[in-house]
Amino acid sequence: MKLEKFSGTREEQARSLAKVMVGMYCEKVEEARESVYVGGRTAGLEALEKFQVQAYAGTRNKLKGNVSRLSFYIRHGVLGIREVAESIQERFGKSYDAIKFWQELGWRQFWRHLYGLWGDGIYKDREPAKVPLGSGTETELPAEIAEGRTGLVCMDETVRELVERGYIHNHARMWFASFVVHFRKLGWKAGERFFYRHLLDGDPASNALSWQWVASTFSHRAYLFNRENIQENGGKEWCARCTAKCPFDATYPELERRLFSK
Amino acid sequence: MKTGVWLHGDSLSERDPALRKYPEARSVFVFDRTFLEKAGLSFKRIFFLYECAVEAADEMRVGETVEEILEWVRQDGVEKLAVTESPSPIWRETIERLRQKVKVEVVPADGMVNVPEGYPVKRFTPFWKDLGKEWS
Repeated sequence: MKLEKFSGTREEQARSLAKVMVGMYCEKVEEARESVYVGGRTAGLEALEKFQVQAYAGTRNKLKGNVSRLSFYIRHGVLGIREVAESIQERFGKSYDAIKFWQELGWRQFWRHLYGLWGDGIYKDREPAKVPLGSGTETELPAEIAEGRTGLVCMDETVRELVERGYIHNHARMWFASFVVHFRKLGWKAGERFFYRHLLDGDPASNALSWQWVASTFSHRAYLFNRENIQENGGKEWCARCTAKCPFDATYPELERRLFSK
Repeated sequence: MKTGVWLHGDSLSERDPALRKYPEARSVFVFDRTFLEKAGLSFKRIFFLYECAVEAADEMRVGETVEEILEWVRQDGVEKLAVTESPSPIWRETIERLRQKVKVEVVPADGMVNVPEGYPVKRFTPFWKDLGKEWS
């Protein structure tokens, strides 16, 4: 069936498309919304031109750091990975920040290479886990997590941003994945599905293998975080609003003892 | 030979390597109904793809990918389909099915580095040390 371009504002076009595509997305038709991030090469090029690589290396782990937010354009080939790398080279030369940024782009090519080799094998544990994990039988996250109702402001706000905008910072992805897999002992595949469903840059290999990296089925060790790490990289605003008993407020040795002792 | 380009979700812009090889060719993008019904993506993702496809493709379609492409091929009198390579197993299966009905040329995808055929699986650090020298 031919699909014509709709007329009107973005919002109006989204409403029209939602009616045509009913049954092909997870929300109810009346709840289907466009993201604030605009698709297409015009928007992609604009975002690329705006991105300045200075301070990338030193601030990229901070939620408010200088990250590019180009991932959804690169994921869908709207911007070529080499095109992005060369744009940085031409505008900023080979600086420390540029080299760090290129390395992060390199991860995308690494995941792509593994996807070519393994195909749907990316959805199987690549290695034995290095720490005790849950049974891994869940196919979906529990509703309180997926709907942002855990009471842990950092996790609930991460979910809210992901669902509303279709994008979250990489560090927030790591915290959330570690929370799901290690603190809640849920299977990484349930989290992987949740991210894939909502992330505009959701890529099968990058997503599944990053979850496995956190779980330790494709890394040498499990990824853990604590409250101090969240506050250092995400600020104290979440914690200031949070009234829950914080499961992350501990040293790493204490967390390892608590989470990984058999 | 009249060439048409199939743009898919891994390569959805005018910068698509197949489209750059055949800049005069018309192009098509298909929202695959079966895949989307199963995947249950959020609508935001679908609308993002729509915005990309509106700019990139001459025609957008919804339905079963192979059937939709073949209908488009017949309608436009396309004799050869050019498409950019993807590592996705679904893409490979689709190419095999298309090849039974139409001539298909696969164009290599853009890469930041060249990964040699048969390059072994490693962690990222040795991968980048081996292959990322141009960018280090």
